[in-house]
Amino acid sequence: MSPHTEPTLTAGRPVLEVEGMRIERTDIGAPIVTSLDLQLAAGESIGIVGESGSGKSMSAKALIGLLPEGVVASGTARFDGQNLLGLSERQWRSIRGRQIGMIMQDPFTMLNPVMRCGRILEESLLPERRLSRAERRAEAIRRLAEVGITDESVVERYPFQLSGGMRQRVAIAAALARDPKVLIADEPSTALDVVTQREVLALIKRIQAARGMALILITHDLRVAFATCDRIQVLYAGSLVETGRADDVRERPLHPYTQGLLLSEPPADRRVRQLVAIPGSVPSAADVQDRCSFSSRCRWAEDACRDGVPALAEVGEDRHSRCIRLPEIGAEMAALLSKSEERAVVPAEGRSDGALIDIVNIEKVFESGGRTVTAVDDVSISVREGESVGIVGESGSGKTTIARMLVGLESPSGGEIVIDGIPVRSWSALTPRDRRKLRQTVQTVFQDPYSSLNPMRTIGWALKEAITTHDRGGGNVEGRVAELLESVGLSASYAQRRPSSLSGGERQRVAIARALAVEPRVLICDEPVSALDMSVQAQILNLLQEVRTERGISCLFITHDLSIVRQASEYLYVMHHGKVVESGPTESVLDNPSVEYTAQLLNSVPRPDGQWLVTGDADEMAATRG
Amino acid sequence: MTGRAILLMIGKRLVALVVLVAILSFLVFSLVHIAPGTAVDAYLGGKPATPELVQLLTERYHLDEPFFTQYWLWLKDALVFDFGESTLTTLPVTDEIGIRLGPSAFLAVYAYVLTVLLGVVPGIIAALRQRKLLDRGLVAGAVVALSTPPFVMGILLLYLFAVLVPIFPAAGRGEGFFDQLWHLTLPALALALCVAAFLLRHTRASMINVLDQDYIMFARARGLSWGHVLFRYAFRNALIPVVTVSGALLAFFFAGAVFVEATFSLGGIGELLVQSAQSSDMPMIQALAILIAVLIVLANLLADLAYVAIDPRIRFEGRSA
Amino acid sequence: MTEAAVTAPRQLTRRRMKSRPPLLIGLCLGFMALVLLVAVFGEALAPQDPSQQDVLGSLAPPSAEHWLGTDGLGRDVFSRMLAGARSAIMGPLVIAVVAMVCGNLLGLLAGYRAGLVDSLLMRWVDLMVAIPSLLIIIVVAGALGGGYWLAVALLTILTIPTDARVMRAATLEQVPRPYVEAAKTLGVSNGRIMVRHIWPNIAATAVANSVIIFAGSLVAIAGLSFLGLGAAPGTPDWGQMLSENQPLLFTNPVASIAPGIAIALTATAVNLIGDWVYEKMSRRGAAR
Repeated sequence: MSPHTEPTLTAGRPVLEVEGMRIERTDIGAPIVTSLDLQLAAGESIGIVGESGSGKSMSAKALIGLLPEGVVASGTARFDGQNLLGLSERQWRSIRGRQIGMIMQDPFTMLNPVMRCGRILEESLLPERRLSRAERRAEAIRRLAEVGITDESVVERYPFQLSGGMRQRVAIAAALARDPKVLIADEPSTALDVVTQREVLALIKRIQAARGMALILITHDLRVAFATCDRIQVLYAGSLVETGRADDVRERPLHPYTQGLLLSEPPADRRVRQLVAIPGSVPSAADVQDRCSFSSRCRWAEDACRDGVPALAEVGEDRHSRCIRLPEIGAEMAALLSKSEERAVVPAEGRSDGALIDIVNIEKVFESGGRTVTAVDDVSISVREGESVGIVGESGSGKTTIARMLVGLESPSGGEIVIDGIPVRSWSALTPRDRRKLRQTVQTVFQDPYSSLNPMRTIGWALKEAITTHDRGGGNVEGRVAELLESVGLSASYAQRRPSSLSGGERQRVAIARALAVEPRVLICDEPVSALDMSVQAQILNLLQEVRTERGISCLFITHDLSIVRQASEYLYVMHHGKVVESGPTESVLDNPSVEYTAQLLNSVPRPDGQWLVTGDADEMAATRG
Repeated sequence: MTGRAILLMIGKRLVALVVLVAILSFLVFSLVHIAPGTAVDAYLGGKPATPELVQLLTERYHLDEPFFTQYWLWLKDALVFDFGESTLTTLPVTDEIGIRLGPSAFLAVYAYVLTVLLGVVPGIIAALRQRKLLDRGLVAGAVVALSTPPFVMGILLLYLFAVLVPIFPAAGRGEGFFDQLWHLTLPALALALCVAAFLLRHTRASMINVLDQDYIMFARARGLSWGHVLFRYAFRNALIPVVTVSGALLAFFFAGAVFVEATFSLGGIGELLVQSAQSSDMPMIQALAILIAVLIVLANLLADLAYVAIDPRIRFEGRSA
Repeated sequence: MTEAAVTAPRQLTRRRMKSRPPLLIGLCLGFMALVLLVAVFGEALAPQDPSQQDVLGSLAPPSAEHWLGTDGLGRDVFSRMLAGARSAIMGPLVIAVVAMVCGNLLGLLAGYRAGLVDSLLMRWVDLMVAIPSLLIIIVVAGALGGGYWLAVALLTILTIPTDARVMRAATLEQVPRPYVEAAKTLGVSNGRIMVRHIWPNIAATAVANSVIIFAGSLVAIAGLSFLGLGAAPGTPDWGQMLSENQPLLFTNPVASIAPGIAIALTATAVNLIGDWVYEKMSRRGAAR
């Protein structure tokens, strides 16, 4: 055996080793990440999974030397014999782009808006390769082809002339222009629609395999991580709580947080009786730096968990967990996991008679800058008494426009809407009596809980207004505010607080309470959980379910997420480009889609069977359409 | 936006200009009749009303015609740059204005160059040294400069650099290019500092906003040098909103010029306007009001064209400014 | 999918406000209190009669008797400065208050519902942007003969649309926010939405803007007086004193620059207070 082994890139040889990386804000000394360890082998893909505030994005920035001012990283991150965390700006320049590349979340803001795509690629090429203008252009076109863009005219276009998916492809090509050994992808598909998300992730995986490049994928979505990565690191409030091979973590999580996250995610393939939600919301890293970071929300937490930070202990082959009670609670965790597999009783197909909302051949045309866009095109939808109806579709499918027309925020261009027997083509033409009746029939829960509450008013003020707007009779308004808060799982003391002191989940609870204040018969929920952390989503979905069964109200549930719609609706409409392409009982539509588009949507839901990211020619076609 | 679309935009703006000037000319013409006393009094400008003079003025300005006919006749004359004679000097208004255009133009160009230099450059430096001592100093200085109107700044500058340390002349406008430059330095500074302070704050805010954008970080993550990112990315994008406000800045600029010319007695258009306002020299006021309005609107059009040139999103999406 | 939860922490760091040293603001507030006091009791506080001429004692340099010396007619500059505070403050105060009330009303109406108010307002504003209001006032004052209250009235009329435009833009930013739409779907009346929901959220802009208007009109009125189109000749007024005393620059410079310093200092103090008020108010209740 020769003592001189060639330094070939074989799997298993680590290219990047991070040990005890700590990131903190220097001005107030608050940690953002308390400790992160990572071993990345050549050609390997690691997923760092975490919710907001976990410190995952800051970790990515630390590993490419672009932390914002006032934030510093300590510890070691060994790469090619040097510690990245101690490099000077000059030294970083030989690392960034050439050794480590990065792409970020939002393709709409990542590319220079005043530069043509060809220029962006050309300037990203290695400067020491002295190429002529024509050669640079040819190289840019070749790089675009690598990311599946065969349309050469893209080099002449500005980023704002391209779709989100196309922009993300251009960004990937630019990030890889200097052929880095490691690619850090920070939520590369989060801002994209489900179908495009799959295409972009498949593209990254394909390039990774072709180049033998290592990948760090940073995501909030466990399903995406399982489907894309070899190994998973779960980050919670600034510290790693569990690491392991993707399949192992998925089949048997060994930390209560990982398990909670898995359970709170609604499965795509079946309806479960109730989601197992994690109570509370994500704490900041600074608040939990002296204890198990999950102890405040863990059902198994005891004093020992709050007494110092537990070590990240080896609990199996290539498997680590930070839970000190794992030996005691392992059995219980396994039992909970199998219990959650139970399927719910599938609701009987067939709908009740009384239509509460009847939308008939409705149409909505927007005019902007001389162009007309048909947002909703000849759509008919009905919501029956006590029923939960889902509308699923990608962005731009017209689903939100329908919700807005139902509550009078937009007027339809054609067709008819009948709510509880009152025709509501135009809200301004209604009598005050009818309008009041309608407001008490239909209420809305909006997508973004951060802006759906007036930031200058207290929670109590908002609820009081909701109660007194239609009921001037007075009575014990304070008492009813307290009742409402209680019915959404908040204590009466929340009435004194302002929205800024509430977490996203708490705000969405208040928004639901406000909608319930007029005791409506239909609740329109427009993406009610998509702005929330995964561990909080299940709480809100459960709350909506509870409210519905307790009060017997109907629900129109609008979402892009097929797994959520399976949990939350009995009857389903699938929308695409402003039209309803398929409708029927939720279970049968999702189990046996009859339309190509529904099947494509279903196919785009991340699944860990190894087939999800295998794409064919459809990928290339989709790339050039935008 | 194609060349044709740009021409179309210029065409539209010129039409708007004509409409604006038409409305304005009517308002300006009406001033004669709104002014205290009769129209003849307005044109007399304080001279004794001898029957001959009254007769002459009535004929000259068609004062015996109905109001709208008067306006029409006045407008026809105005279109060939005949605004009548100054009541103060009895010289034709257009001639008076003609001799005073030179110094005003020199001052305006000089002060504009200073404004851009003193506004944009320190604004960028302040943004790059955000929250450092230099940044705080520049921001504080900007507030003071912004609060000091050109006529106060003019007198302070005169005191500092013509009285205390006499390196600049206290009055006059000089002969020849360099002599004029020397004479007009203090007036140009007095005019530039206030507007530059506004520009500094705007540039700084815009630059800070741009430096915070994802595309800056993505460019650095690709290994592009800081200088490249700064020049090809940050400056270009930060200048877009700066160019956008430059139209509004022009209004400040023109008003300031009037005060500076009055302070330094430069014998320009602004000083002429003040003199004619003080002595209610009607024909002069009318001509100057229209001249200044046309200049401002044309300058605004230039600012809009610069905006189209610098931001491709406007060019392609036709989001008109 | 828009993941607000992911972008939220970044907003947090961006929102981190630099806090101005409160000492400076304290000084500004104290200075303004002094100016106000002088504006109210100016004549009484003046050590000498501000219009008392003394031709023999003209152009006296600063002394114990005449703190800022005397002007060309021998009047005590310091006394005239104290007396001049009233006309410096009063007009701008009227302009700021009237413009704020009218501007807020018009801006809210125009921003909340596009329509006649909106298009009229925008045409008005277009005209104002094209031609600086000071030039309009110079022209009109020239035709009508000038005067302090004419200048105040004209400035008020010309300031309202600029204030309304700022408030319209601020309103337009609030209208598509979900909290406004939530109030609409709840059936809250339009008037209540404007006054009780939107206004509190744009009050910071409203207050800061009227403070800026105050500073701007202070400078504008002083400027018109400087040109002889504002305060009547002979009245003690900072702008007028500045032009009266400009020829004294070489003989009695203190008397010459003192009114200029007073204008600049007052405007600086007001602008600093405006910036501070804006930061303080927009931080209150700001999301996160």
